[in-house]
Amino acid sequence: MIPMDPSGPILSAIDIRKSFGDVEVLKGISLDAKKHDVISILGASGSGKSTFLRCLNFLETPTSGKVIIHGDEINVQNGQPKMSVPIEDIRKRLGMVFQQFNLWTHRTVLENVMEGLIHVRKKSRGEARSIAENYIERVGLSQRVDAYPGHLSGGQQQRVAIARALAMEPDAILFDEPTSALDPELVGEVLKVMQSLAEEGRTMIVVTHEMAFAREVSSEVVFLHQGKVLEKGTPDEMFATPKSEEFKRFIASM
Amino acid sequence: MNPIEIMVSYWPRMLDGTLMTLKLTILGALIAGAISPWLALVRSHGSLIAQTPIRIYVSFVRGTPILAQLFLVFYGSGQFRPELMELGLWNFFRDPFNCAILVFVLNSTAYQTEIMRGGIQGVNLGEIEAAKAIGMTRMTILRRVIFPHAYRIAWPALSNEIILLMKASALASVVTVFDIMGRTRQIFSKTFDFSIYLWAALIYLAITSLFVFGWHRIERRLNRHILPRNNANAVS
Repeated sequence: MIPMDPSGPILSAIDIRKSFGDVEVLKGISLDAKKHDVISILGASGSGKSTFLRCLNFLETPTSGKVIIHGDEINVQNGQPKMSVPIEDIRKRLGMVFQQFNLWTHRTVLENVMEGLIHVRKKSRGEARSIAENYIERVGLSQRVDAYPGHLSGGQQQRVAIARALAMEPDAILFDEPTSALDPELVGEVLKVMQSLAEEGRTMIVVTHEMAFAREVSSEVVFLHQGKVLEKGTPDEMFATPKSEEFKRFIASM
Repeated sequence: MNPIEIMVSYWPRMLDGTLMTLKLTILGALIAGAISPWLALVRSHGSLIAQTPIRIYVSFVRGTPILAQLFLVFYGSGQFRPELMELGLWNFFRDPFNCAILVFVLNSTAYQTEIMRGGIQGVNLGEIEAAKAIGMTRMTILRRVIFPHAYRIAWPALSNEIILLMKASALASVVTVFDIMGRTRQIFSKTFDFSIYLWAALIYLAITSLFVFGWHRIERRLNRHILPRNNANAVS
């Protein structure tokens, strides 16, 4: 571990490139997240925003680039990652919330949230249970601890998925279009939870189509276009004075 | 003798045969069940080089009659007696029970491998990604996510395979193993009363029915997360 500057970034991505075959979908993207940052990544579909997010915890291996999390560095060249610690050690410091929730359907709400605590954090069942119950309450689902995911609405499932990520006490949480698979009337309950997380100072990187969230909740907005960062800045300046034609058109289309 | 008298005088032998059939089936299915998930894993995720021997093995077993496989091992091993003695394996092959078990294991492993491959490939990738993202190791993902789902998917097909194995175990009687079929033939050659065959059929039917009943109960328990809510409570 490299000694850390407390005000420095807890997560850095440097010049991330990713090709699928001949198609380069990420053309050198860099991003720094400091503690308490809420970064919204916007972009049309196909702009590479989900792929970029998935490169941060190596669900997708970049073709080249560097990811630094809490001083641990993973350097990728020609699709070959070099890392000082096992990939699992990096992943457990980053929570992830998926578009399709991806709860383990054969386990109850409580078991879903306890799973990582027991089998990754190696906590005792009793301790895992009390931590899990705490976070399930945090997302307002204490009534449903024994329900299976299949018996919950999409919004409830996504809140469980958020509790599952939170319970691991990650340094940052990655959200991959967390509301895109939800019926419109269920979007609000998930956004409300996310907003409250932002308010308590959690570090979040959010790929989203929710303009209101990007504008009102995030501390920084990044606009991707064809695999490149076209614009970034605070939401106020980004939305007040969009610089590129593409971002102007993107805002207008939403 | 009427059918009842036959059973009254020969039930100890039939019981003995039943136990042998159960032993052949359970031992065969369990050993195959311990090997097949790993072969299935190679078959679904391994490199082409690793997959090839498994493919050849599976297609050989599926493409030849189990009776032929049994003769191949039982009579074939006799041909190689000196070599097997040298290797210290003759004691194993001398016993027809061992030959039968070996064939049933080889047979059932091939079928169970294919069944489990289907199960493993049916696991929702999103759930595997969630497990990776939370920091689970490969082994933990297998144990906590992939196998639990794969077995749920494969469960009904596995029951079918075990029933087929149980019925195929009757072939062991041909190489002098005294299972239900072996005892039945022995009794018939003494009494020339065919009703003992009806009894044998009844015993096979009873074993199958009990097995299906138990297997189905486990299936309902495994699937309580996808049953309608009211039933889900009733089962647990």
